[in-house]
Amino acid sequence: MSHCENRVETPVVATAEARQEFAEKVLPILESRFGAVRDEDDQWGFTVVVDGAQLRNVVLFLRDGHEYRVNMLLDVVGVDYLGFKDYTGPRFAVEYALKSVYNPSRRIRIKVRVSETDCKVPTISDLFPIANWQEREVWDQYGIVFENHPDLRRLLNHAEFQGHPLRKDYPAHKRQWLSTNDFLLPELEARLEAKGYKIISRSKEVVPDAEEYLTGSIKQ
Amino acid sequence: MDTQAKEAGIFTSTVDFVVNWGRKNSLWPFPYGTACCAIEFMSTESSRYDLSRMGSEYVRFTPRQSDVLVVSGTITYKQAPILKRIYEQMAEPKWVISMGACACSGGFYDCYCTVPGIDHIIPVDVYIGGCPPRPESFFDAMFDLQNKIADESYMKERAERVRDQLEAIQLKTAECKEELISCSHAKVDELKGKAEGLKRDMIKKATFWKEP
Repeated sequence: MSHCENRVETPVVATAEARQEFAEKVLPILESRFGAVRDEDDQWGFTVVVDGAQLRNVVLFLRDGHEYRVNMLLDVVGVDYLGFKDYTGPRFAVEYALKSVYNPSRRIRIKVRVSETDCKVPTISDLFPIANWQEREVWDQYGIVFENHPDLRRLLNHAEFQGHPLRKDYPAHKRQWLSTNDFLLPELEARLEAKGYKIISRSKEVVPDAEEYLTGSIKQ
Repeated sequence: MDTQAKEAGIFTSTVDFVVNWGRKNSLWPFPYGTACCAIEFMSTESSRYDLSRMGSEYVRFTPRQSDVLVVSGTITYKQAPILKRIYEQMAEPKWVISMGACACSGGFYDCYCTVPGIDHIIPVDVYIGGCPPRPESFFDAMFDLQNKIADESYMKERAERVRDQLEAIQLKTAECKEELISCSHAKVDELKGKAEGLKRDMIKKATFWKEP
């Protein structure tokens, strides 16, 4: 009972002081242990730049390595710096936005710079299951490969899409048509089987040839 | 009309009129809603505006039972084959209303993923502008569609269809005839050759056995 009352009496709100305190507490540890550097471009928030090799350690440390427990992954974002003003560095970056569910003032962004020649970042989808789809989206839109990702397929764009549309050098007016529907029944059957249903007959994909597909089309 | 029936309870009309009257007053829509236009379509359907006043009573969620495909919302390239398949699954006669700026022209989504107008995929009968259009504009579009249907001629279409079929049959017949002729010519030539050969043999034999 007293536990409940305590929880009600102390609502946790984010304050600038609390954020500052969090940053001051965490930054030295990250700097000394993982070689992280604070990103001075981020004037309003708290962003650290870490090496790709150290990313998993940093995320693991923030999640359950210390008292603050920054245990919620909000977003995984890709950045393309091509043509960015006064920028000399690797072309791409991946940013991870994390926060704590216990205190809203504990929030941090982790930035990993990725060069165009070695376009790889280790996956964190085993640490945060939500990162699975986020990383798929970043791969889809920017072409950044997440190593050891269990299922790195396109998420938003269709299967016949060529290239990565949110890269700055993707032609803005390029359009790509999709010729046929996705065949999703095997996936559905696998999911049903995993839940204990029995599949009586498996569905087979009917691949229409080009002529059949165009029958009745006004585009022919 | 001259042939007006004398008995009560009978009147004469044209087939076109009756068919079009039936068609235009029972336009069952198929809502292909992908964005906020679909919300506007819901309010068109529900009691305040009540689309069923014009006979669009049932919103059918299967293309087999519906007459009007209402494309309300943004169509992406990933969705284009699905929309096309749905259109192809609908039974004739079928009409399409393109509702809202996105379905008509892609709207403000001038980007890698949005189809710039569904008329790249399927034929459209009525376009509605607006982002999203109000229910009144949807009613306007339905009236336009009704007028369009009233102008259609079932008998003319039927005649055209029959003429097309007849032409196809005639074409096929001519093709078959030609094929048959060429085939028979070849056969005749073959037989002639055979006969010639036989004749030559006979002559040869006869000259061999002829007494000097």
